[in-house]
Amino acid sequence: MKTETVAMILAGGQGSRLGKLTKQIAKPAVPFGGNYRIIDFALSNCANSGIDNVGVVTQYQPLILNNHVGNGASWGLNRHNGEATILQPYSSMEGEKFFKGTAHAVYQNIDFIDRKDPEYVVILSGDHIYKMDYQKMLDYHKEQEATLTVGVMPVPWEDASRFGVMNTDKTDRIIEFQEKPENPKSNLASMGIYIFDWPVLKKYLVDNQAKNRQLTDFGHHVIPAYLRNNEAIYAYSFEGYWKDVGTIESLWSANMEFLDPKHELDIRDRSWRVYSNNPNTTPQFLTERAKATDSMITDGCYIAGEVEHSILSHSVKLGENSLVKDSFVMPNAVIGKNVKIEKAIIGEGAHIHDGTEIIGTDDNIEVVGYDEEVGGYSDEN
Amino acid sequence: MRTKIAPILNLVENSEKLMPLTKRRPLASLPFGCRYRLIDFPFSSLSSIEASSAALFIGGSGHSLYDHIRSGATWGLESSVGGGVFTHSHINLKAELEDNDGYIGNYYEDHYHYVSRSNAEYVILMGSSMLSNIRLDSLLQFHEKKKSDVTVIYKKIKRSEVREDSIYSSLIMSKNDDDCVEGSRPVTEISDQDADLLINMEMMIMSKDKFLTYLFEAKNQHVDITTDNLIKFSREADDEIYGFEYTGYLKVIEDIRSYYQANMDMLNEDNFNALFYRANPVLTKPKNSAPTYYGKQSEINNAQFANDCEIYGSVKNSMIFRKVSIAEGANVEDSIIMQDCCIEEDVHLKHVILDKHVYVKKGARLEGTAEEPIVVSKDSIIHAEGDIEEGE
Repeated sequence: MKTETVAMILAGGQGSRLGKLTKQIAKPAVPFGGNYRIIDFALSNCANSGIDNVGVVTQYQPLILNNHVGNGASWGLNRHNGEATILQPYSSMEGEKFFKGTAHAVYQNIDFIDRKDPEYVVILSGDHIYKMDYQKMLDYHKEQEATLTVGVMPVPWEDASRFGVMNTDKTDRIIEFQEKPENPKSNLASMGIYIFDWPVLKKYLVDNQAKNRQLTDFGHHVIPAYLRNNEAIYAYSFEGYWKDVGTIESLWSANMEFLDPKHELDIRDRSWRVYSNNPNTTPQFLTERAKATDSMITDGCYIAGEVEHSILSHSVKLGENSLVKDSFVMPNAVIGKNVKIEKAIIGEGAHIHDGTEIIGTDDNIEVVGYDEEVGGYSDEN
Repeated sequence: MRTKIAPILNLVENSEKLMPLTKRRPLASLPFGCRYRLIDFPFSSLSSIEASSAALFIGGSGHSLYDHIRSGATWGLESSVGGGVFTHSHINLKAELEDNDGYIGNYYEDHYHYVSRSNAEYVILMGSSMLSNIRLDSLLQFHEKKKSDVTVIYKKIKRSEVREDSIYSSLIMSKNDDDCVEGSRPVTEISDQDADLLINMEMMIMSKDKFLTYLFEAKNQHVDITTDNLIKFSREADDEIYGFEYTGYLKVIEDIRSYYQANMDMLNEDNFNALFYRANPVLTKPKNSAPTYYGKQSEINNAQFANDCEIYGSVKNSMIFRKVSIAEGANVEDSIIMQDCCIEEDVHLKHVILDKHVYVKKGARLEGTAEEPIVVSKDSIIHAEGDIEEGE
């Protein structure tokens, strides 16, 4: 069956800068915004862009991620002519196939992509919070007759040295790529979003493998190889909200930004919905002692305390006389009575016992891990 | 392994006293508890016995119901091996239009085909007017232990808990205190408001063969397949009927007042936990949604909300469904606000039920009473002066 486009979401990374939040689960599976996991944004972008065939490449601690994605039904990807497929390392006659890098992960899944026989492959990362129409980028790719189009974002010049930056000519053709340069010549940062002509990319990957030169990484190996061979590489500028939630501080601040009803991401926009694998839970119950201001609360919550400028994910319990302020609480956390939580991220299923205080600061957000217990001299124990 | 049960849901239920909420929907698809419909409760009960199919008999078109149920996958009713939701709609219309014999023929045939073609050992009859959460696995155990021919579910309630002219019945138990049922009688025959009723919850289980025997009898007598008729047939056949007592939360949804009360009951934690957390998890059609946002000035006091709302005003003792917006300065009290309603600034609502997609203009005031809440039908506009422009 002929398919125009296949998307490959690279969701195998650990995200080690998220500390204990990615100890047991992969970064794309980290909860976000009350009702989502990070990968929902890339998956929903695929669904909303009309890309029905999506390979989700997983590797590091994949259980929760695989379970979340399933067959893609939550994103409407379980169609007769489309599917979401979990792709994991496997062993074969040629040995084990653990993924060594972004391009290597695609190389190992050539069979999957070939089975769909696409003209284009969209490479995405499962780590970012943004809404983007990949179809528009594909139209641009075709218009420019590019063999590779790289999604880029202008970043402040002082931040440019933290990114891979693309130096372009007047026609937006990429003429140079610098990975985290000391003296950047451009402020167009790569978003890790690529559209390749599949036959061309496949040839590069296979030929180099045959010569025992592995193209392991798109940034370090594939783009330089394309540049050396004078391939038509173009930059596609994205304007809009885009956030890499790679650290505790950025995960926290992205959630705090998400709270703003006027946030650019506009989560309530019906024309570009962010889908997720929604749990079946009861409505949110706010008792007569509850107080909720400038906050997001999700179904399944039971709130007897006070919530101020915070996000409470689904099925969180908050006891009497407790305060949650400037914090992000992940699903199924249980917070007892007389607890005070400020500037913190509370992990999924964590248990904060009565009378505990968890107070962070802007530079040092407190983190409670998944299923972690804090305090513990509760009356009920 | 799946228990082999063929559930039949009789959704041709009387809902006139719930007008205008039931103008365009059967009782079974009446929204309840911020994010559910009444059908979710019997369907969730079916999940406890892992039923893989169900037959539905619906009076009207059932459009809203089918939209909700879709493939039945939410409740595990979509198995490609012997599963599925078998729907039979327009029962009322067929009864009116077709010559009586033709209609009667189809009605019984449909029951016969569903049950005889399924590989079930047992048949369960259910409806949607008895809001409850029943462990059907416990019922099945009881039924098998008693070696009963028929088991009926009942709950002990006061006569005053149902309407004076209620259409439901009360079981007559044997004096030997052995759970044996000797018959049923309409509750209207019982006038003492303090009397205990053993209300027939219109749910019963029997073997496939017994069901087919009763079905044949119903066809001969040209009567509907109801629990009361089946109790009668089994008595006539000298079969053994047992009563299985349900002790969880029950509300008989038979009019606006009981519907309103059932919703308000959920704001009491004991009732809420009894209905949602003591038996089966209650499953409903999954919807994609954002969390609900509570504004800087919002004031909440004992209320429930579904996802996707934007709340800037004050909400007290109320049930708020999905995608409702309540503007600053608005005050909603003792009310039920269904999906997609928009409430502007400085609105005052008390003892009001807004059906889906009602728009309340700035400054409007509506106040009913707990006994007689004001019901505003779907798609209406409430103007500032309080006059209501009814939806189509």
